Amino acid sequence: MSRIAVIGAGGFVGVSLIESSVLGSEAPPRAIVRNFRNMASLCRFGSAVDLRRADAEDVSSLAEALRGAEVAVNVTTGPPAGIVRSTRTIHEACRSAGVRRFVHLSSAVVYGDVPEPIGDDAPPLSKHWMPYARAKGASEVWLRERMSQGGGPEVIVLRPGIVWGVRSSHTVDLARSLSAKTAVLVGAGSGIFNGIYIANLVAAIRAACNLSAGTAGFYNVGDTETVTWLEFFRALGTPLGCDVERLARVSSERFPWSLAAAIDAIQNFGPVNLLYHRVKGHIPDGLKSAIRARLEGPYAYQFPANDYPLRSGISRELWHLQRVGHKLPIAKFARSFTFTPPVFFQEGIRRSLGWLASLRSAAGPRTLERLGTLHGN
Amino acid sequence: MSLRTTIVGCGAVAQRLYRKPLQMLEKRGILQVAALVDPQEQHAAALSRYFRSARTHRSLDEALASGSDLTLILTPAHLHCEQTVQALQHGSHVLCEKPMANSATDCARMNAAASECSRVLAIGMVRRFFPAFAQFRDIIQSGQLGALRCFEYHEGHRFDWDVTTPAAFRPRSSGGTGVLFDIGPHVVDHLQWTFGELEVSSYRDDALAGIESDAALQLRSPLGPGSMHISWDCPHANELRVFGSGGEAVLRVDRFDQLALRREAGRFEPQPLSVSFRADASRSTGKRLSPKSYPEAVYVQLIQVVRAIELGESPACDGRAGERCVRLLEAALARAEALPVPWLAPDDQAAFRRLHWRSVA
Repeated sequence: MSRIAVIGAGGFVGVSLIESSVLGSEAPPRAIVRNFRNMASLCRFGSAVDLRRADAEDVSSLAEALRGAEVAVNVTTGPPAGIVRSTRTIHEACRSAGVRRFVHLSSAVVYGDVPEPIGDDAPPLSKHWMPYARAKGASEVWLRERMSQGGGPEVIVLRPGIVWGVRSSHTVDLARSLSAKTAVLVGAGSGIFNGIYIANLVAAIRAACNLSAGTAGFYNVGDTETVTWLEFFRALGTPLGCDVERLARVSSERFPWSLAAAIDAIQNFGPVNLLYHRVKGHIPDGLKSAIRARLEGPYAYQFPANDYPLRSGISRELWHLQRVGHKLPIAKFARSFTFTPPVFFQEGIRRSLGWLASLRSAAGPRTLERLGTLHGN
Repeated sequence: MSLRTTIVGCGAVAQRLYRKPLQMLEKRGILQVAALVDPQEQHAAALSRYFRSARTHRSLDEALASGSDLTLILTPAHLHCEQTVQALQHGSHVLCEKPMANSATDCARMNAAASECSRVLAIGMVRRFFPAFAQFRDIIQSGQLGALRCFEYHEGHRFDWDVTTPAAFRPRSSGGTGVLFDIGPHVVDHLQWTFGELEVSSYRDDALAGIESDAALQLRSPLGPGSMHISWDCPHANELRVFGSGGEAVLRVDRFDQLALRREAGRFEPQPLSVSFRADASRSTGKRLSPKSYPEAVYVQLIQVVRAIELGESPACDGRAGERCVRLLEAALARAEALPVPWLAPDDQAAFRRLHWRSVA
C-alpha cells in the first residue's frame, strides 16, 4: 500500500517528487492525476508507481483514490479560480479517507514584494494584484481556520518561492531570454531571488511527509543562500554567452507597460481571468498560435544572440519578483524537520545548465562545447 | 460521386484534427461521412452532431457491412493493423493515422492486404503539408547549404492533448506508444523525406518500468549525420537546425510557416514561403492552399488521399513509407540504453541506470 499520495502528480513538481521516490527505491508512491494526458510524464515509471485518476474538485472520487494513504501531498496546478475549491476538496477527501497528514503547497508569492522582513506565520497579503497569489493566500486563510477548529488531517503548508531548475519552464524561459539577451533587470538587480532549487523542494516535501517529524503549521522553504537577481542572472547567463551587465534595465519604481503586459493585466483582472480560463480551450489552435507568435516577437534563430537590445519588455509578474526586498526565513522548517537543503545554489545552476544543454533550449553548439558534453547526444 | 467515409475512433484526433476538414469536404460534395465507429458511445455521439447523416456503430464490422469507400483509422496505435486489414478486405481504401502500427510485422501485413485488395493505403503524416517543412526540404535537397555537416532535431513540450484513453501511456507490451511511437513517426518521416533513408547509430530513453517519455537518437543519412530528441515532458527548442559548409538553416517545428537561413557567418534571414498544395479533388482545377493550421493541413492531406483513390495519384505517405518509419523505430529500440541524466544526484543517476528497462530486461 502506498504511504504517500501525490495529488497533481503529472506536473513539474509532482513528476520530480515521484521520480525521487522511485529512484530512492521506496514503496511505490501513489500518483493521482486528473486527466489521462497528465499520465504522459509519469508513464516511464510503469508499475513502479501506483497511478490513479481522480478529480481534485470531487471529494468522493478523490477520497477513493486516497484511501489507505497516510500522507497526501497537494501539488496541483490550474486556473486561480479553482485553487481554493480544490484545497477544500482535498482537505475534505483526506478527512474522509482517514489520511493522517496533508502537505499543501502554497507559494511565497502570497507575500508580494516583501518590503519588510517577515516570519513564517505572517498572514498573506489581503490585497494582491495577481489572481494566482490571491487564490493561494485565500487557501492559506481557509486552511488556517480549519486547523484552528481541530479534527481532520494534520496540515502542513509549505511556501516555496520560485521553483527553479530541471523541468521548470520558468527556468527555460529565463535561460532563453538570457541567451537571446532580451532578459531585463529591474533597477540594479539587487532584488532578492527568493528561489528554491527543485531538488531542494522535493527534499523538503519528503521531509514534511515524515510523520515522526515536525508539526502542523506554515513553513517557508527555500535555498540556503541569499541570492540577488543580478547574481542569479550572472550564474545562469554567463555560461550561455550573456554579459548580464549589458542587459536592458528598467525602473524598480514604475512598471514599464507594453502591449504584452497590458494583455497580461487584462487577463489577470478577476472576472476576465475566470472567463479567459473558461474560453481558452475553445480558441482555435491557429488563432492561439498567431496571438502567441505576435506577443513573443521575433524568434531568436541565433543563440547566443549578437546584440543587446536597448529596450525589452518584462512581464508584471517578473518585475514584481525582481523587486522582492527580503529573503523569506527558512529556519523554522529547518528546525522542525531537521532539514538542510541538499543542493547548493552553484550546484543547482550546474545541473540546470546540463539539462538546458540537453534540450538545446538556450544553448547553441558553441555554448555546448563550453559547457562540456553533459548529454549523450 | 462523394466517397462514403467511415471514421474509426471518435476521440481526440477525430474531434480536434479531422472534424472540421471533413465537414468542409462534405460541404463541397467530395465525401460524405456515413459511419462513426467507437466502442465508447459518447465519443461517436459527440461527433455525430456534426455529421447528421452518419450512423454510429460500436464495431467496425457493422459499419463496413453497410459499405465504405474510405475508412479513416484514428484509433490507438495497437488497433491499427487489425482495423486496417479488415477495412481493406471489405474493399475500402484506408487512411491510417501515424504510427502505422506498433511493429514492422504488422505494417508488412497491412501493406500486403492493400496490395492484395488493390486499395490505397495512406498514412497520416500531416506535417508533409506544412508549407515551411516542404520548403525546408527543398532548401536542403537543392544543396543551398553546401555539404551537410549535421542536423539536430528537437521537439518537446508537456503533453497537452486531451486524449480520451490512456492507451499511449501503457507499457509497450500492452500496446502503448510512448513518445517514440507518438511524435517519433512524424519526425522520422519528416527527416527521411528531407535527408533520405536513415539508419540508427544509437538510441537512449528514460523508461524505467514503463514506457519512455523522452527519447534521443543518433542517426546517419545519405546527406550526413544527425540527431533527434523528442519529449513529452520537457520544453525543448522545437526546431530542426541544419549545419552545412555554406550556411545554416533553422525550421521551427512547432510552427507551420517559420524557417530561416543564413549564408556563411551572416545573419539569419526569415524565408518567405512559396509552397502550396492542391486543394481540390478534380483533375482540371488548379485550386491550391498553403495550410496555416493543423485542420487545414489535414484537409489538404485528405484531398490528396481522395486524389489517390479517384485519379490514381500517389498519396504523400503510403504504407511503404509508413513501414520504413516503424522499422527505424524498432531498430532504435533494439539498441536502447539509459538516457544520461547528469542533473540528478550521483546516487540517483546510478539508480536510474539500474532501473532502466533495458538493464532490468
